[in-house]
Amino acid sequence: MLCALSFYTAKAQDVATVSGSIQSDMLFPQSDSDIGATKDGDFNTNTYIDVLMQSRHVDGGFRMEYMEHPLPGFENDFKGMGLSNAWLKFKMGDNHLTVGSFYEQFGSGFILRTYEERSLGIDNSLFGGRLVVKPVKGVTMKVLSGLQRRYWSKSEGVVSGADAEVNIDEWFSGMQEHDMRLSIGGSWVNKYEKDEDIFADPTHRYNLPKYVNAWDARINLNKGPWGVLVEYARKSQDPSFDNRYSYRDGHVAMLSTSYSKKGLSILLQAKRSENMSFRSQRNMMGTSTFINHLPAFTLDHTYALAALYPYATQLAKGEWAYQAELGYNFKRKSALGGKYGMNLKLNYSYVRSIQEAWFKWGSDTYYQDLNIQLSRRMTKDFKLNLMYMNQRYNKTVIEGEGGMIHSNIFVADGMFQLAPKTTLRAELQYLQTKQDQGDWMYGLLELSLAPHWMITVSDMWNHGNSDMEAYEENTHYHYYQGLITYNIKSHRIQLGYGRTRAGYNCSGGVCRYVPATKGVTLSYNYNF
Amino acid sequence: MSGSKLFTICLSLGIFLLTACDHIAEGDELIHVKQEPAQRVVLLEDFTGQRCVNCPLGSEVIEQLQEAYGDNVVAVGIHGGPLGFKGNAKNVGLATDLGDEYYNHWNLEYQPVGLINRHGAVNYADWAKVVKEELAKTAAIGMTASATLQDGTINIVVEAAGKEGTVSGKLQVWVLEDGITAMQMMPDGSTNRDYVHNHVFRAAVNGSWGDIFTINEAETMKQTLTQAVDASWNTANLSIVAFVYNDNGVEQAVKTKVISEK
Repeated sequence: MLCALSFYTAKAQDVATVSGSIQSDMLFPQSDSDIGATKDGDFNTNTYIDVLMQSRHVDGGFRMEYMEHPLPGFENDFKGMGLSNAWLKFKMGDNHLTVGSFYEQFGSGFILRTYEERSLGIDNSLFGGRLVVKPVKGVTMKVLSGLQRRYWSKSEGVVSGADAEVNIDEWFSGMQEHDMRLSIGGSWVNKYEKDEDIFADPTHRYNLPKYVNAWDARINLNKGPWGVLVEYARKSQDPSFDNRYSYRDGHVAMLSTSYSKKGLSILLQAKRSENMSFRSQRNMMGTSTFINHLPAFTLDHTYALAALYPYATQLAKGEWAYQAELGYNFKRKSALGGKYGMNLKLNYSYVRSIQEAWFKWGSDTYYQDLNIQLSRRMTKDFKLNLMYMNQRYNKTVIEGEGGMIHSNIFVADGMFQLAPKTTLRAELQYLQTKQDQGDWMYGLLELSLAPHWMITVSDMWNHGNSDMEAYEENTHYHYYQGLITYNIKSHRIQLGYGRTRAGYNCSGGVCRYVPATKGVTLSYNYNF
Repeated sequence: MSGSKLFTICLSLGIFLLTACDHIAEGDELIHVKQEPAQRVVLLEDFTGQRCVNCPLGSEVIEQLQEAYGDNVVAVGIHGGPLGFKGNAKNVGLATDLGDEYYNHWNLEYQPVGLINRHGAVNYADWAKVVKEELAKTAAIGMTASATLQDGTINIVVEAAGKEGTVSGKLQVWVLEDGITAMQMMPDGSTNRDYVHNHVFRAAVNGSWGDIFTINEAETMKQTLTQAVDASWNTANLSIVAFVYNDNGVEQAVKTKVISEK
């Protein structure tokens, strides 16, 4: 592939540019019976090397991965090493053809989204071909087919699809003059999977469809500060392990409206999904081989205790999900804004079970998150962020057991400018709940010595009493951590030591169970 | 012909060819499969847990298999792993340290998950398929077992007969208990405090991984073992499972009820 790339590059008499990155996360683990941390060898690492070469007519790239001794918590088949992805992209004007590994998303990803999320161990890229053409102004068409990556092998199903997106505003100058943008899109995805023996009982096997089709239609209108997106997708019969071999069609519908003007932003969203787990291998469980992705209508929190109970989208069960968000900047020198101004952010998410009737709710609340965040510079050298969050987390639905957890979370985050290049950030967090493991406290100090050094110490303490229906004993443990980070040019190295709690690491509504760990951590990142 | 037109034609053709639609009409979802006679006994180790909401679904599959194949399917519910529960002052727990050891040894990831004749982890949706495949194979040895309870001790006799070639491996003997009423998280998210757990792994009679075993064709062997009864066991519901395993999986298995001698 590299030879081919060199050939085409030379032929085009172009100068190819080479760029890339290295990412290596390492753990020297220790056992800790209190928190349930076990050792799998003396050294674990997930290491990635990406190389990208670009020229006028041809791009190419590859990724090498080393996970022979992977970090804890990934699926067994994640282990391995070698060339994981390689691709060539031939460019002809606005059109291009990709051969090899590629990532793609149609619309919001309801029927196709392949992506990489290293923290979750997800890389569901397709290996095959993709052609993207722009036949007339404002129109983009895509067609693709390939096999999906499943760690170090390929999934059994063949995924094919096509997408067309039309930006109507590009055809009418009047729309552009009135700051109006209108686009419509349509997509189709097909999965072919051969028949196999899957038994409903010892004398009956399922009559499985070999082809599953999914369609998506969307319209997106923006005018000035206003925006509206309406999208609907449908999937044909797709009996799978996820939906317990149901023959019902899948559906998802979404309405998203937004308003954004200087100092004020509003977002209102609603989504109903049902039976939309779509994998390239019907009998698969875990986090691999998903063809699609439904965006979560919940905030991905960064504060440790706010992220203790993260929501994972219920693809197969279905859900009604709502989100409302308000952002407002109080101006400087106003009554509430004070000398430096103040930012208010209000977010509400609510996710509930569905019924067969489209507009009826089911009986269970899956998740609720009401949070208010205030950010204000108090003095020239001190900035304060405050957050209150009220959360309902249906642990049974999301994790499989544990009932409803109702918590109140309080966060204070202060940043002190000690010297022109020295800042100290302090976090205090408290989570109050009567369920699960009871109350938690968290404290963090982070000293930044620009431009090179950052030193962080933190402790998360579960001082509340656990629910004796679910736990054998109280878990009054400290999860302490210390980190030293050094940055120079495009290198970043971080050395740490500490304990991490068993729990879920989530991104965009997709979650991975991470077991408890203890030990020395070392991370290295380099971009070239 | 312009590139755009060619692309549009190819796209239309591709969509036409690939959108072949398989619609399964209501009532046609299942295909009847003839039940073949069993050639041997199959051991199904069900790695389960009281905090595992889907584990009762695995138990349902086991009930179906035992109804269809009777004593030819020997199931053992091994409680342990992350969703196992060892109990506290409030609730009875069925998980054991040995259950955890087995779960970790086999590098299992989810619950419920099964080992069927120890040929690797099998998702419960595939148990029926793999059990059928295993039942169709022949075994190189035959096994019988008997167990009697006397003065708080179970006296176990395991007999084996070589039928084909030489079989080497290990003989493992376990104690199981049926009819234990204890808490179980259910698929609908509820907690059933009166759930009846069957074929629950209680103890390994001859060590975690058994005794060394070798038998030649046409030979017979007999081994006697004893196991003290734990105070928490209901002696009326105890059974013994014995099996021979090696790197090829489980060669043969047998289950027998523990008979109380008055």
